[in-house]
Amino acid sequence: MNKIESPEESRKLLDKIVFDLTRSIVKKDELTRFWFFILIMFIGVGLWGWGIQIKNGLGVTGMRDYVSWGMYIANFVFFVAVSLVGFLISSTLHLLNVSWSKPISRVAEQVAIAAVALAGIIIVNDMGRPDRLLNVFIHGRFASPILWDVSVVMTYLTISVLLFYLPLIPDLAILRNRMGDELPKWKMKMYSILSLGWKGDAKQYKIIYHAMRVLMILIIPVGLSIHTVTSWLFAATLRAGWDSTIMGPYFVAGAFVAGVAAVVILMYAYRLRYGLKDYFEDIHFSQMGKLLVFVGLLYLYFNVNEFLVPGYKMRAAEGVHLLNIFTGSYAAMFWSVQILGLILPIILLLFKFFRKPLSVTLISIVVLIGAWFKRFIIVIPTLEHPFLPVQNVPADFHHYAPTSIEIMITLFSFMAALLIITILAKLFPVITIWEYAEEKGIDKKYFSEQPKKS
Amino acid sequence: MIKKLNLLVVAVLILSAQQVISQEWLVPADKQNVKNPSEFNLENVKKGKEIYIRECKSCHGDAGKHNGLALVPPPPDVTSKIMQDNTDGELFYKMSTGKGVMPKFDVILSESDRWFLVNYIKNYNPEITPLLVEAPPVKANLTASIDGSTRVVTVSAGFQNKKGEKENLTETPVNICVERAFGDLPVGQVLTDDKGTASFKLPENVIGDEEGFVKVVVSLGEDFEAKKVTLEKAKIGIPKETPQLIRKGVIWSTNENIPLWMLLSYLGAIGGAWLTILYVVIQIVKIKKLSAK
Ligand code: HEC
Repeated sequence: MNKIESPEESRKLLDKIVFDLTRSIVKKDELTRFWFFILIMFIGVGLWGWGIQIKNGLGVTGMRDYVSWGMYIANFVFFVAVSLVGFLISSTLHLLNVSWSKPISRVAEQVAIAAVALAGIIIVNDMGRPDRLLNVFIHGRFASPILWDVSVVMTYLTISVLLFYLPLIPDLAILRNRMGDELPKWKMKMYSILSLGWKGDAKQYKIIYHAMRVLMILIIPVGLSIHTVTSWLFAATLRAGWDSTIMGPYFVAGAFVAGVAAVVILMYAYRLRYGLKDYFEDIHFSQMGKLLVFVGLLYLYFNVNEFLVPGYKMRAAEGVHLLNIFTGSYAAMFWSVQILGLILPIILLLFKFFRKPLSVTLISIVVLIGAWFKRFIIVIPTLEHPFLPVQNVPADFHHYAPTSIEIMITLFSFMAALLIITILAKLFPVITIWEYAEEKGIDKKYFSEQPKKS
Repeated sequence: MIKKLNLLVVAVLILSAQQVISQEWLVPADKQNVKNPSEFNLENVKKGKEIYIRECKSCHGDAGKHNGLALVPPPPDVTSKIMQDNTDGELFYKMSTGKGVMPKFDVILSESDRWFLVNYIKNYNPEITPLLVEAPPVKANLTASIDGSTRVVTVSAGFQNKKGEKENLTETPVNICVERAFGDLPVGQVLTDDKGTASFKLPENVIGDEEGFVKVVVSLGEDFEAKKVTLEKAKIGIPKETPQLIRKGVIWSTNENIPLWMLLSYLGAIGGAWLTILYVVIQIVKIKKLSAK
């Protein structure tokens, strides 16, 4: 990074950067309203479905005695997976001094916060008696992976929020100093409170850097455990298909794939909607494409281990389960997820031609859909094989199919996640202004200047 | 033409007859008329009855009560026509070789035991005057008590005679059992004396519950209609060993059984993370303070 010496030039560039990056906050048009309308409508329908479910009990879902974890848990695993990208991009890449990833950090953090918050809500969706939620804590058993998961999810959510907030403080000061009439009063007031009266002296920056570093290091073990513990919910049982020692790394690798795809999609949406072509540049998409290949290959490697080794041995129960997945009723879903959702994207993204913004985004959409169905395959087929041979049970116990209420509530979770992301984007710049400006060579001293009102 | 038709009818008849025959229990001709080597007398009938109660009653039920098991085909009652239509030789052959659910007893009972059984069954043949006539069960009453320190069960039994007077039940066997999960376990039998009382010392090696408590059950034999007496549990047995069902090293997901290392790991990890979070929050407060200056 070359320092820009002339103050004139610095100020001009900073003005432009602030102008571009606050466009998401200022912009208010029909499309925004329409988008909010769609989101809130779906959320309303989902909440209505949830009301029916609370009133009539979990019998309104497709879950029965055998398949007692259905679409909700698959969806939960998906959201936990997606949230993991926050730790990959804003911490790991940051600590490794990968500079291209810096503008993406806040997008990754947005995804992480929205996804992990919803993961928590989905668990409550899955409860027949959500009014007993507190019992998880009052009567929690320390040897239960479920309690570990609840603890870790909450810890991760807190760290993600802090990691979102810390680099935001100087930005909030910039907004407080520079914005005015174009924003409603409550927003300005919020900026002024949240910016903690930021002055921008060296001491304060030092604390920010230090605290961020601490969080970035802390989020590595917490991030790894959030998804490892989620995998233990399955791996700690003796069930065919779940009883596997590589579940932890397998889940973590899969999570990176889903998360990277989600971030790419969001980046493209911002780039298009808020005219941030110069910020989310082609190179970012190309690099994210490469990252997707890398984590995809990692995930593929774990998939080979997870399916080939037991498939080679075909132990009794495991064999029944695997045949059901490979050639049985889940074969179509399984193979399209593996081929369309993983192998093909890896191959395509190896070529420079496909690493352009639009094509990376399209591929990411397919990957993300595949990732969702992959969780479905991890959770449900295993449960369709009960431990003991059972006779004379109702036919709907044998196979699981989600009901419309389940689908409504699952759609709700997607819409609620998008709503959180949208609100974050409407309140705060989607790229860290001060980090970006500094990267471009602008000295810190210009950040705290009040521009002359023209 | 008619001749041919006749032939057909005959053929059909033969075939269907074969069908019926194959359902029946055939006894080879030479076995049908084998003579019973044991004499038909009261002693032999009684011996047969003893074996019957031990080996056959569980399926065939009590003679004349038609209370056999509901099997297909059903085990016929001893007094039934199906049973009594058999010759001695046939009975012997059938109980020796068995059929379907009916076990073959030639490997279980000696030849003479089986002939005693034939005598017992013959006792109920309508054409023969029975040697063993069972009186209807007598209404009796039974009381019992147990001394926990000496392990002695004291029994006293009586009945009402025809005139309606109370009388002692003398020279009558009383069964002493111990209550178990799936029925009563017989531990002994005593005869009542001329006062209608008897006492029985329980063996030392009766196994009780976890603390050694045993429930003794006292009852009269088949000839009496009397309620069995179940005594209050007494501490007279050996405490039952309770095997440790949870093996060490298995994670048992209750807070009482959680291994220390797991609890400490959990609390350590979560506590460490939240302390660090607290530290970061303090840094944020510091920023705020620096601004205020
Ligand atoms: C497991 C149950 C069972 C036991 C124990 C048993 N039986 Fe039977 N018995 C049967 C059944 C069932 C039949 C009917 C078989 C048939 O007709 O196919 C039968 C038939 C018979 C018959 C033939 C009746 C006829 O059809 O002519 C005789 C005789 C007989 N049992 C004697 C005995 C004797 C004696 C004993 C004891 C030593 C005995 N059974 C024990 C079940 C049992």
